[in-house]
Amino acid sequence: MNERDRIDKKSDEHRKSIEPSREEQLSLLQTITMEVAAAKDLSSALEVVLRRVCETTGWVLGQAWVPNQDGTVLDCGPAWFCAEADLKEFRAACEGSHFVPGTGIPGCVWKSKQPVWIQDVTLEGNFPRNKVAAEVGLKGAVGIPILTGDEVIAVIEFFVHESRAEDERLVKVITAVAAQLDLVMVRKRAEEELARSNEILQSILSNMGDAVIVADKEGKFLVFNPAAERMFGGDATQTSSSEWLHHYGLYLPDRVTPFPDDQLPLTRSIRGEEVNNVEIFVRHDKAPNGLWTRVNGRPLRGSNGELLGGVIVCRDITQIKEEEFFRAGQSHLLEMIAASAPLADVLTSLVLLLEGQADGLRCSVLLLSDDGKHVRHGAAPNLPEAYVKAVDGLPIGPRVGSCGTAMYLRKPVVVTDVLTDPLWSDYRALAESCGLRACWSTPILSPQGEVLGSFAMYHQETRGPHPEEMRLTEIGTHIAGIAIERQRALEALRESEARISLAAESADLAFWVLYPEQNSAWMSEKGRAMYGFTPHEPLTRGSFVSRIHPDERAAVQAAFEQARASQQTFEIEHRIVLPYGKTRWVITRGRCLWDEDGNVLEIICVTIDLSAQKQSDLELQVQREELAHLSRIALIGEMTASLGHELNQPLTAIANNAAAARRFFDRGQIDPAILKQLLADIAAASHRAGEVINGIRGMARKGKSTRSPLNLNALIADTLRLVRSDILIRETVVVTDFDSRLPDVEAAPVQIQQVLLNLIMNALDAVQALPPAERRIIISTRSLKGKSVEVSVRDFGTGLPADRAEKVFDHFFSTKAEGMGMGLTIARSIVEAHAGRLGAEDAEGGGARFFFHLPAAQRLSISKAA
Amino acid sequence: MSGEAGQKTHSMRSEKPAASHVVCLVEDDPLVLNSLRHLLASDGIAARSFDKVETFLAHIEVQQVGVVVLDIWMAGMTGLEVQAHLSSMCYQTRVIIMTGSEGPDDERIAMQAGAIAFFKKPFDDEQFLAAVHEALRGIYSK
Repeated sequence: MNERDRIDKKSDEHRKSIEPSREEQLSLLQTITMEVAAAKDLSSALEVVLRRVCETTGWVLGQAWVPNQDGTVLDCGPAWFCAEADLKEFRAACEGSHFVPGTGIPGCVWKSKQPVWIQDVTLEGNFPRNKVAAEVGLKGAVGIPILTGDEVIAVIEFFVHESRAEDERLVKVITAVAAQLDLVMVRKRAEEELARSNEILQSILSNMGDAVIVADKEGKFLVFNPAAERMFGGDATQTSSSEWLHHYGLYLPDRVTPFPDDQLPLTRSIRGEEVNNVEIFVRHDKAPNGLWTRVNGRPLRGSNGELLGGVIVCRDITQIKEEEFFRAGQSHLLEMIAASAPLADVLTSLVLLLEGQADGLRCSVLLLSDDGKHVRHGAAPNLPEAYVKAVDGLPIGPRVGSCGTAMYLRKPVVVTDVLTDPLWSDYRALAESCGLRACWSTPILSPQGEVLGSFAMYHQETRGPHPEEMRLTEIGTHIAGIAIERQRALEALRESEARISLAAESADLAFWVLYPEQNSAWMSEKGRAMYGFTPHEPLTRGSFVSRIHPDERAAVQAAFEQARASQQTFEIEHRIVLPYGKTRWVITRGRCLWDEDGNVLEIICVTIDLSAQKQSDLELQVQREELAHLSRIALIGEMTASLGHELNQPLTAIANNAAAARRFFDRGQIDPAILKQLLADIAAASHRAGEVINGIRGMARKGKSTRSPLNLNALIADTLRLVRSDILIRETVVVTDFDSRLPDVEAAPVQIQQVLLNLIMNALDAVQALPPAERRIIISTRSLKGKSVEVSVRDFGTGLPADRAEKVFDHFFSTKAEGMGMGLTIARSIVEAHAGRLGAEDAEGGGARFFFHLPAAQRLSISKAA
Repeated sequence: MSGEAGQKTHSMRSEKPAASHVVCLVEDDPLVLNSLRHLLASDGIAARSFDKVETFLAHIEVQQVGVVVLDIWMAGMTGLEVQAHLSSMCYQTRVIIMTGSEGPDDERIAMQAGAIAFFKKPFDDEQFLAAVHEALRGIYSK
């Protein structure tokens, strides 16, 4: 301020003479404003300002300073005005100068953002150019900032020869002019910005892959970028969007139905709708194969929201779609395979799918025959029939074209020219006649590495496979491999099914499979017969349930449910009731099959008819029991002495006592004590006779005998009583040696008694040849560790037949003239039926020892232990 | 002298007391034995019961027996063997044999050995008593 005051004072004397009049100043302002507005950029606007200010106010040199790009230094701008030629030296010096903030006039103005007036620059310390200024004779100077907002975009400075005092009004005028420049700057900058962004937009539109089309409300195209021209044809712009459809093929995704014109994305966006991801198939003369595009559309609106038209962006998705179709084709093939479509159909579809992926490509699949030595036709829908026929049945080998060799070598074979390749030497004529020139083949291998067949590609020109074709080959061999493998597995399954079915038919087995989801079932022929279903009757779960005997339905259902829940097999014996009321015992075994999510896919069951087995089991049991009965009857026959004697004794006592009583009465002298004695004896004798009869009746009784806990010591004593007379008559001594701590056995008393009788009667027979004094039999019992009981009948006869010890148990083996030879056999079967063992051995000291073991009754031994 | 011989004979006979009219019953089944004793008693015949062969054999060692009813099947020795034993002892004992379980030759053997009667159990009381009376008469008639 002090400096400025100083300048003001110094220049005060010159002010009047130099300062422009008010009219001049207004005119200057007007002129500059108009000219600046017309200037095409900042540079020319500056020139106008510099020139006009100099012309009007008498400054001899005007120039501009602009910040460099970094905004660190002011450079000398290109615009300048000079009224005198000899000032060029000063200009040149300026052009080489740069000012940092605070240095020189430009730097001071830049820093302070205020005008700076210097009366005489030659006297000014902060004026680096003062030497040059002095040389050319410049003294007075003023610098004015040009501000945009708060930013200094340029500094203009003016010089005169004489020292000039500050003119405040002049500074104001120039400042006002500079403000005009600011307006110009802003406008110009905006215009430049717009031009640049337009340029960018245009570049984007020209270079982008997506088609961009803009149309006005009338459907007239405003933008139609090169991609749009490529996509829809260049001359599309010749017409309006509404007529588009008639000129260019736009179709729905089915590729044949024309796209409804009122639904076209551009039409809709012009209507004001937003359109998202509409797929259109396009076909025109420049894209005969057609292309796929995905279109998004938006209405075009003015700043106040009024509808101006529409814009659509279309992306070419042809490749994506083709890949999609190719993938869908592969999926379809896999579906065909899964659905067990015929192999020929699957392979033909595969070949057609792959051929569609490349131009001029022909493919074929050959199979390896079961003998592994020949090729068989698989699929080749587009190869000449003659060629296909000639190839079918050829042997594989190291020089058998591409396929035969590939299968033989188990590796891909590429033949780029069949007419020269030695592998084709035998088949050149064939290939040539069929117009085939190149062929490459890849073996189809199973996961185990087994050759299943080959996949081949043919071309009509000499060439090798393109990378894309390698990829197709990979897909082709992979899918063909799956199809062939599946086919083989199916064949194997059918074969094994046939075998199983055959086995089932001959084995009286019913096979059936229940599909719970579908509520349907399959059943083998034999099964239908077993369950009483007609051959073609549809079967459901209900069909089976209805056949199960009502008493066992719940149990069978429970077994089913448990098998489903526990993922285990189940087995249940139950009856089935046939429609006409017949009942059959069956055993059903089943297993559930699951999918990956744990759902039951099917329940596989085998049902075995048990009726026959049950019947034979029953018959066997009856037979056994009858045999045992017969044997007992025979035993009773052998016990004639005992039976007669034992009955006759008490009968005799009864008769005698009765007669005695009668006689006492007749004589009229009856002692009541004696009478009482007689009657008591009669009663006792009757009782004894009854016991004997009961014993015999038990022995002779037919039918099942029930098991109960039994003390063998007691049973042996009873049995000995039964045969007491026989022992007596045979003048034999029977000694018993009982284990007093013998555990009970669980047994049928009659049957065990039968065994005992057998052994005792045999022993009696065995000792019969001895003198009476030596006829001895020892019957002993003992506990074998409390777990089982041994009963032993030892005689002192001649022992077992030499070398035929075991034969005594054979049917019909008898050393006795009168024996049936069945006794011991039956005895053994009885003991074995009680989980015991009957054996015989020569006893130490002579004679034979027969013994049997029976398991101790569990419950009693436990209670004893407790 | 004759006396000597007679004495000898006598002495042989007189070694044991003379046979009484008491009927001996040898039967190892007590029920049958008692019933026989009662039956004889009902007809006024005294009887001496033996339920073991051994006891009877001991008895005849010291006492002549006029009439004996023998069961065949007894523990230790059969009635037929006892009969044979009695014969071997030159006793004039009248023997009645009975059996509950008849062997095929039992009756023939018994009768040939001089049995008064052979009864299959059970038997008729009248016939049995008649046989006993006959046997007793034989003793007295001697």
